[in-house]
Amino acid sequence: MLGSIYAMVAVALTLSIGVLRFLNFSIPGLFMIGGMTAWASLRAGLRWPLAIAAALVAGAFASLVVERFTWRWMRGAQDFVPLVSSMAFLLLFEHLAVIYWGSELRTVPPLFANTDWRVAGLVISLPQLGGLVASIALIWALTLALARTRLGRGLRTIAEDSDTALLLGVEINRIVPVLFLISGLFAALAGVIFALNYRQVQPFMGEMVGLKGISAMIVGGMGSVWGSIAGGLIIGLVEVMSIGYFGADFVDIAVYGLLLLILFVRPTGLFAAAFAGQRA
Amino acid sequence: MSAADPILRLDSVSKHFGGLRVVEDLNLAVRRGVRTALIGPNGAGKTTVFNLITGVFPVDAGRILLDGADITATPSRLRIGHGVARNFQNIRLMPHLSTLENVMVGQHCRNRGMGGVLQPVNLVPRNRWREAARAALADAGLIEYERSTVGNLPYGVQKRIELVRALMAQPRLLLLDEPAAGLNPAETEALQAQLEKICIGGLTVLVVEHDMHFVGALCADVIVLDFGRKIAEGSPEDIRRNPLVQEIYLGAPVAQPMERHSARSA
Amino acid sequence: MSGYLEGIMVLLAVNVVFAYGGFLPLAAGQLNLGLAGFAAIGAYSSAYLSNVLKLPPLLAIAFAGIVAGTVALIVAVPVLRTRGIYLALATFALGQIVQAIILNLEIVGGAAGYPVAAFIRLPAIAATAVVVVALVWLLFATRFGIAVTAVHDDESVADLMGIDVRAFQVAAFALGSAIAGVGGGLYAHHFSFIEAQYFNISLSITIVLYVLLGGTQTVIGPLLGAAVFTLLPEVLRASANWRYVAFAAALIVLMALRPEGLVTGAQLRRLLGLARTQARHAAVATALPKEPSG
Repeated sequence: MLGSIYAMVAVALTLSIGVLRFLNFSIPGLFMIGGMTAWASLRAGLRWPLAIAAALVAGAFASLVVERFTWRWMRGAQDFVPLVSSMAFLLLFEHLAVIYWGSELRTVPPLFANTDWRVAGLVISLPQLGGLVASIALIWALTLALARTRLGRGLRTIAEDSDTALLLGVEINRIVPVLFLISGLFAALAGVIFALNYRQVQPFMGEMVGLKGISAMIVGGMGSVWGSIAGGLIIGLVEVMSIGYFGADFVDIAVYGLLLLILFVRPTGLFAAAFAGQRA
Repeated sequence: MSAADPILRLDSVSKHFGGLRVVEDLNLAVRRGVRTALIGPNGAGKTTVFNLITGVFPVDAGRILLDGADITATPSRLRIGHGVARNFQNIRLMPHLSTLENVMVGQHCRNRGMGGVLQPVNLVPRNRWREAARAALADAGLIEYERSTVGNLPYGVQKRIELVRALMAQPRLLLLDEPAAGLNPAETEALQAQLEKICIGGLTVLVVEHDMHFVGALCADVIVLDFGRKIAEGSPEDIRRNPLVQEIYLGAPVAQPMERHSARSA
Repeated sequence: MSGYLEGIMVLLAVNVVFAYGGFLPLAAGQLNLGLAGFAAIGAYSSAYLSNVLKLPPLLAIAFAGIVAGTVALIVAVPVLRTRGIYLALATFALGQIVQAIILNLEIVGGAAGYPVAAFIRLPAIAATAVVVVALVWLLFATRFGIAVTAVHDDESVADLMGIDVRAFQVAAFALGSAIAGVGGGLYAHHFSFIEAQYFNISLSITIVLYVLLGGTQTVIGPLLGAAVFTLLPEVLRASANWRYVAFAAALIVLMALRPEGLVTGAQLRRLLGLARTQARHAAVATALPKEPSG
């Protein structure tokens, strides 16, 4: 289950890196915004479809703000500048959340009481199933969009060579915000799924959970959407296994240890399938 | 013809990039103390030869001998210590160092160990390395720029700074990649004068150039490359009259006599 | 000195030390996102040394710096084989792993945190900070500074000039981590209680951000960045969270308008040049005989 959440975050990250060569450190923040907005909306009495929608809107909006102030404002600047700005945005979002909502851990009310099914010895709840279905559907839609639509072609062209993209008439200024929008949606939705399934949110949940999406992205292969999915599943599996063998405290060591190992041994990730012109 | 053996020798050197054979079975020798030019059309492999000599790329085959020593397997970092320094076709000075500090980078190979690295060059006012660098800048007429940010300086000035940096290594062989490119005629004359002056001390210069007047005025030997192979060598006069060279240089000035310019200009 | 003021000055000193821990690798062109991990190593090892082995705090802190530096040296070999973004991510992973390991080390309290018995006050902390700044300043006044900046600017040309790029990168990385360890030790012995949760990615990010705020082109930049980060919110009486919000917002604007940070190399050289010229003029003026009036 967590695997699909990691996969979503990883996809959000991988889109930025693959197309813009930009490690968007604000994405764990967007994850948090999605989760906490969902909680806040539910607490305010909104019904769950509206709460989820509010969370997605918040995430998308925040992502566009990030785009405006990290990417649009400084194209052509030095390499590290967008990364640094995105890190500043992470801090910004986290502390705004603390100011607005307080720093305590919050519980999300259960959405659907007693809707667990038993399938082949596994217990699956509705939120879990919903989350899984939503992530699969969204990722599938994304891969279709990347392959078939003009937007997708534009993104892939920018990934190959942004100068050529300009020459070919790709409207970078129109497409890049869409990219950020998609990333924001994925990250926020991952946060929502986490909130509804694990029923806990707090302003630093991006650091606790969302950052592992980076591990998933690298393990799967930077710049590859399928890689991110695989990476997410692998990281989810690693977590379950490490809890099983070593106990819950070991989880982070396992996840980040794997990241470190991959970075040393095979930085391009386990799945060499390139998103498009991956020049890692 | 100097009796000593060549300061630089390439024996059957080859270099491929993927399927592209950039340098093919190249044999050349640069005589000690003789200003030599390496010419050829674009893509002939000239800059690659420089990169092979300085160790940026390893050779695929062949040997490189610098003053008799086989440096084919020497790591690039150590080659400057063996006496070969270079400049770069598109100027590569360090943007975050002042002019003086950029020049001092050139001294690094002579000042390397722990004692060298920890020398308080920017702290002690009369540090000998710093003073030596300042003297070199003054010698080149560039002392006014010593504290400037290199990125803001005129192109010609930057080129001259790069030359001083290369000379700080006290090389025996100096590789110059298109040193006159982008310079106006006055600057080109000044460059020529400077090169003639520094060669008096016994320094050998190997120049890649397209400006044939400059080559004719400065160099005694010319080596011609095409498609990574040496196709001709000799004095500038010989080269000018060589039919093979004339053929590959379609459109290049053929009929003008190349006189040695007197470089005593202001 | 009031307790409040002393607290601010202590924080300033600790942040200054952290800043130089971040500055060293940045000066060599590397982004160390695991700084908090090395600070944690310093904090916990110094606390252990003074709690259990009863070492005097300053000695424990010095040792802790060496421990942190040694760990950095060991991991530098594989980590520095990665480049650019991979390096940043590897240091990030490292920091997370250190934090996770400490959470599991019951011998130093695990998740419950670790109280520190010995206590040091502002004079000792400030003195340590001054020593750190002086050492880094001295180091950068040597050829080390020139070489490291060359490596930062253009690795391939630096290599061709005879500079051992890898050695300088490892040195900068290890030294920076050692300094971060010292900062962690100072923190531990003043705030009397450390927990792994404090040494997280946010801390690493914050440190990197205020170093970049001050500027990495000069040795004085990190000092300025730490000072602005620590003191400005106090002057403006900002709450703990609003100060981060303002700081982050300021960084974002700064990165757009002036990514070199507040102090640039050129600026400093101009200032120093101006000072030297004025000093020379003053010396000349006093040396000249007075002109006869009339």
